[in-house]
Amino acid sequence: MGEIFGAPGELLASTIRFATPLVLAALGGMFSERSGVVNIGLEGLMLISAFAGVVGASLSGNAFVGLGFALAAGLAFALIHALMCVTFEADQIISGTAINLLALGGTAFLLVIIFGTGGTSPRVEGFEELPIPLLSDIPVIGPALFSQSLLVYLMYLLVPTTYFVLFRTPFGLRLRATGEVPEAVDTAGVSVTRMRYYGVALSGVLAGLGGVYLSMGLLSAFTENMTGGRGFIALAALIFGRWNPIGAAGAALLFGFAQAVTIQAPQDLIPQEFLQMLPYILTIIVLAGFGGRAIAPAAIGKPYRKE
Amino acid sequence: MSEDRTPEERRARGSALRRILVNAGGPLVFPLFAILISFLIGAVIVLATGHNPLAAYVALLQGAVGSPEAIGRTLLGATPLIFTGLAVAVAFRAGLFNIGGEGQLFIGAITAAWLGVSLGFLGPLSVVLVLLACVFTGFLWGAIPGFLKARFGAHEVITTIMLNYIGINLAYYFALKPLRTEGLVPGTDTIDIAARIPFIGLGLGRANYGLIIALLAAVVAYLLLWRTRRGFQIRAVGLSPGAAHYAGMSIGVNTVLALAIGGAFAALGGGVEVLGVYGKMTVPFVTNLGYNGIGVALLGRNHPVGVVLGALLFGGLYSGAQEMQFATDVPLQLANVLLAVILLLVTATKLVELVLGKRARALAGTHLDEGLGRQ
Repeated sequence: MGEIFGAPGELLASTIRFATPLVLAALGGMFSERSGVVNIGLEGLMLISAFAGVVGASLSGNAFVGLGFALAAGLAFALIHALMCVTFEADQIISGTAINLLALGGTAFLLVIIFGTGGTSPRVEGFEELPIPLLSDIPVIGPALFSQSLLVYLMYLLVPTTYFVLFRTPFGLRLRATGEVPEAVDTAGVSVTRMRYYGVALSGVLAGLGGVYLSMGLLSAFTENMTGGRGFIALAALIFGRWNPIGAAGAALLFGFAQAVTIQAPQDLIPQEFLQMLPYILTIIVLAGFGGRAIAPAAIGKPYRKE
Repeated sequence: MSEDRTPEERRARGSALRRILVNAGGPLVFPLFAILISFLIGAVIVLATGHNPLAAYVALLQGAVGSPEAIGRTLLGATPLIFTGLAVAVAFRAGLFNIGGEGQLFIGAITAAWLGVSLGFLGPLSVVLVLLACVFTGFLWGAIPGFLKARFGAHEVITTIMLNYIGINLAYYFALKPLRTEGLVPGTDTIDIAARIPFIGLGLGRANYGLIIALLAAVVAYLLLWRTRRGFQIRAVGLSPGAAHYAGMSIGVNTVLALAIGGAFAALGGGVEVLGVYGKMTVPFVTNLGYNGIGVALLGRNHPVGVVLGALLFGGLYSGAQEMQFATDVPLQLANVLLAVILLLVTATKLVELVLGKRARALAGTHLDEGLGRQ
């Protein structure tokens, strides 16, 4: 093992790094989909936030301002999705596709306008590795888990938080009910529209965190289309994890591991193209019902009309 | 809305925009509305970035249709989008959402890149054989999500998205490993010029007879959907799966066939790109043609004629954007922004109702009336 994959600590560390944006975006997608709004725009939400983060950091020289920009951009784009799908009853798949295209075109457009260059932005202040005292001294897993960027620690906290919010709070109950039986939520006097706006808005913020980790945690610059399908892998993780925060995080870790192996394993052992297919193949397998069906929220994808 | 008013009276009401759009006739209301708003938003963006929107749009128009060369570029860009648009439209008619055009196109492209080289010695005959092979591999690839839906109930939106990445990686694997050749850009060997699709000429630049193949494909799609028993069944399943089932039609078989036929169209598009434009498959290969097919199909209301028109609009925008960047320094990526806004608005039924009134909405129907979301 050692000579093929490098030190196990190194493999674990890069698994965490690859998994972090996936976990964050998948948690975001969960809030949206649990409220009944399909969000295939995660890719675009990540991309616009990755870009906005770099713009904010570049203007201010401060990584936290960048983070603020990123979350605001993710939120704004998510609200466009909500406006279209929930208020204007546009098709959710189409709107998500449009969000992706808008982010792709918009970031490339603004890259030229703001930085005067195509392709890659100038380097900015990012979120450097921030070893946690004591914890990072644990052999092997210490440096891998606790010598990471601040955004990674945030991800550690957000997984249980999301679980708690979704399954242990009245808000979570309403959100889930909105995705399953909106009529009942409506009858109980809770606005379906508002719950869906909350769900989609949260997806924008969380996917935004995932996006900004790409441009300011993994790298310290924005490159055109830098998400490169990660939003769709996050979507896959969400489904593979059966719309459950713990499951989705587990799936994202698995997919992150596959990516880490792809980078570290020697080319001729397993062609990297096949490793890259893995998340998608696994998702199709669970969708087809092998090893227990993955069942989506019942009212997902349908606009809700008051009778 | 009172019923006693004459159409003339109704038409006289409302703003100029409303009148134009409502008079434009039912099916065009949604697309025209979306295009208009998108260009307005685009103008605001251009203005905000310190450029003159009028100059930008004039350059855009010139770059799209202003010269034979520009028209050639437009046609060149429209060609693959006709195929990927048809791939979406045919599946849509069965009530299915085919997001898999991207992967299907790559499967066709790698098929063509491989067979185009091995059969190249046959000359023009090779073109026919290679394109038939693309139809075949695309049909099989497209059938996968159909089968997964029919047999296991796996939602085709998710499976086709997943299959995109599987297809792209599969194609790249072949282009980078077994079929790789020495060269500056990684990719497959170049196909013999005699075994490629010839250029049209007439000063149209690199526009090639792939366009004619695309138009023929649109005719085939039309005949298939509206002039064959199978097409009737596919549309019946899309309109009302329950009724179709009751009438003895197999929902499963039609689901598989609609997605497989869609896959065949997209893969044919990939083959035409390789044989007509690039002569090989490079890594990376052209992206977003599959996703843009979704916009093309929706703008074209999932009708083959509409798909051709939608593809021409997309092709024109991309072609014009190059000229716009050259002449006015407005980055050409504006084209994607415009298209994204069009896509965002084109199914927003409530918005159309809000701006144009219920009559326009009722007149136009919705994009969803013709299949989407029924299965």
